[in-house]
Amino acid sequence: MSSAGIDKVRDWILGRHPDRTELAADVDLIESRLVDSLAFVELVYTIEDAAGVEIDFDTIDIEDFQTLATIEKAFFA
Amino acid sequence: MDAVSYTAQWMAAARAQESTRDDALFVDPFAEDLAAPRGFELIDRYAGGGLLPFISIRTRFLDDAIRDVLAESGIQQVVLIAAGMDTRAFRLDWPEGTEVYEVDHALLIAEKRRRLDALGAEPRTDRREVSADLTKEWMPALEAAGFDRDRPTLWIAEALTFFLTDEQAAGLLRLLASASAPGSHLAFDILGRTLLRSPFSKRFLDTLAADGTPWIFGTDEPEEFLTANGWKVTDLREPGQPGAGEGRWPYDVQPRDRRGANRLWLIRAERATAS
Repeated sequence: MSSAGIDKVRDWILGRHPDRTELAADVDLIESRLVDSLAFVELVYTIEDAAGVEIDFDTIDIEDFQTLATIEKAFFA
Repeated sequence: MDAVSYTAQWMAAARAQESTRDDALFVDPFAEDLAAPRGFELIDRYAGGGLLPFISIRTRFLDDAIRDVLAESGIQQVVLIAAGMDTRAFRLDWPEGTEVYEVDHALLIAEKRRRLDALGAEPRTDRREVSADLTKEWMPALEAAGFDRDRPTLWIAEALTFFLTDEQAAGLLRLLASASAPGSHLAFDILGRTLLRSPFSKRFLDTLAADGTPWIFGTDEPEEFLTANGWKVTDLREPGQPGAGEGRWPYDVQPRDRRGANRLWLIRAERATAS
């Protein structure tokens, strides 16, 4: 069950980048520019929908959003 | 040329790229020559974050604002503040008798004139260059060039407020209001504050700061900011909306009440009447 949520996040990122077909859990989403500042809010909402949580923008820790692995650990563990 | 002039070259390069598209939002035939030497290199350096489409959408938004405001108001005095490599005086259709003032620092104006002369560019209206230091008192230079504060004005401030502090941005709006006859208008853009604080923007913002052109000012309450400084918003859009690059913006347009969204504001305003 726990993997279904992170799959939604992965699908959302891949959906934005039709040239990619896969995304490893340790790829840095920021360094690779897969998620930029304007797409970030969409990423947060995607995670919220998939995880059923509300994320507080004022206390966001960017480390949690660095890779699929850190997202899974922070929001889907 | 100073750092902000490289920003002008970057804008010109972005406009040159847009002009070659099949679905171009505008065509600027001079932009490619105005982008040298660094404009295209900066496109790569500042890639990502929606900047290229934003520059194109903003250019078109302000083109449309100029056309609409002049047609509806009969204003004949247009001031492009920090005009940079803007070529609107050479590429737009202007109502008979329109004066277009381009304010920027002397070095940039001289270099732009040299390049446009070499291209044989002819202004399509009464274009007046105003060399001035925008960080000091510049209204006297504008008035010396013929600007008349008793006539209504359309002010255009494209890609300008980002580089100011909160106090300077507010001061600019108040200065423009103080020099605006009743019926004057303003069209410009403002960054969202959230965008400037987002950890996902940090890399890009750090690059700008390292290049000597940090982005400083932004607000997520543009209506309130304008009202507090002598202006009333008449049209507020975000990229991706109808009339603001709909179909050309690679992000969702976030509803206004969505928290945490990074905003870019495209604004038309009119001088607030004294109350």
